Amino acid sequence: MLVAFSLPPKKIRCWLIGDSTMANKEIKAYPETGWGMPFAYFFDSTVTVDNRAKNGRSTQSFIDEKLWQPVVDNLSEGDYVFVQFGHNDEVPTKKTYTTEEQFKNNLIRYINETRSKKALPVLITPVARRKFDSTGHVVGTHEVYSDIVRSVAKQLNVPLIDLDRKGQALLQQYGVETSKLLYNHLQPGEHPNYPEGKIDDTHFSELGARKIAEIVLQEIKSLKLPLADHIYQPATKK
Amino acid sequence: MCEYETNRQPLTGWGMPFRYFFDSTVQIENKAKGGRSTRTFISEARWQPIADSLQQGDYVLIQFGHNDEAKEEKYKDRYTPVPDYKTNLVKFINETRAKKAIPVIITPVSRMRFDKQGKQEETHTEYTAACYEVAKQYKAVLVDLDKKSRDLYNQLGPTGTGLLFMQLEPGEHPSYPEGQKDNTHFNEYGARRIAELVLQGLSENNIELAERVVKPK
Repeated sequence: MLVAFSLPPKKIRCWLIGDSTMANKEIKAYPETGWGMPFAYFFDSTVTVDNRAKNGRSTQSFIDEKLWQPVVDNLSEGDYVFVQFGHNDEVPTKKTYTTEEQFKNNLIRYINETRSKKALPVLITPVARRKFDSTGHVVGTHEVYSDIVRSVAKQLNVPLIDLDRKGQALLQQYGVETSKLLYNHLQPGEHPNYPEGKIDDTHFSELGARKIAEIVLQEIKSLKLPLADHIYQPATKK
Repeated sequence: MCEYETNRQPLTGWGMPFRYFFDSTVQIENKAKGGRSTRTFISEARWQPIADSLQQGDYVLIQFGHNDEAKEEKYKDRYTPVPDYKTNLVKFINETRAKKAIPVIITPVSRMRFDKQGKQEETHTEYTAACYEVAKQYKAVLVDLDKKSRDLYNQLGPTGTGLLFMQLEPGEHPSYPEGQKDNTHFNEYGARRIAELVLQGLSENNIELAERVVKPK
């Protein structure tokens, strides 16, 4: 006798850990948008996106402030952990500064502890800042720390999303002027949250956050992560 | 202007980001609905519950035109000729004022349409003019969103303006596998830029609502 059971598909959780470029924002910071916010809309009901990224954090301060431990404690088999740090690690004047050696060790820690729970780590290079040279060519701003992410990914055979390079390519495609629309650039008086205006070449507008999230999604497909089978599909028309 | 469900992201009505502009003394009730003209908004009994629940000092922001002006056969169920459009706007104004609430007439936000010289064309001429006439005659506050949005499009140019609208490459966004080429409806970014223009228009009219805009600490 053959008995078929139809169980509801197991929930997959996507944990996002990282910094402000990824984080959910408070309403008072709008229209600044982290790319984890639109990313949450990309999946079907079998996937929950749990965005734990937090403004200002480095690989080190994310651990020190006990932001990582609750993630590890709650990881289930088949979950994903998307790791994107660097912006606050790489600046020696910031108190979150993390040496290259320590940055590498912290990434390895995130990978190992994720894998110990049979969950899947995905490393992401720090997303590009908006910087052009005088001839209109994009200039990289995370060269050293992005390379560390790439080499750790290679060494430990972790899927890598090179959001620094892909982000730079997007900036180059948009060019000097149009790329401002991707970042939190506001005229004085334009938005109540920023009465004096804002020129921010690191943090995204709603548009930039979504375009970056779309790149991440594209890479999830290119890497053929099983998660790609759970991307939202609209009901077919007609 | 209306609210859209998350499975239609990034499609966004400008009423969605608009709510975040105000402090806790203001509550936004976005009753706008896709596809509605002044006529069908009334005939579907969408206006009456609003009129019934209005209180003194409330504001009613009124923006119609896209569906009123649709003359194509397939849209005949929503088409509203200019004289009827004006009559309906007057009804909204009178019934709002009857409750000591304040009507604000908003001209229909422009569609994207650049001419060969790269200048944004007028896309709602007759219905925007009708808003002006009604607002003048009834001394109602008017926000010329049509003009303000065209100015924004001219400032951004065709490429930048395209980034305000629901324009997606095939495969770019899971909600729209075949892509989108929509010169009328906004994405999340465009909706916010348009909401900013409405806010600017309210401020220019010195209405009390504009004093309740959120102030950063």
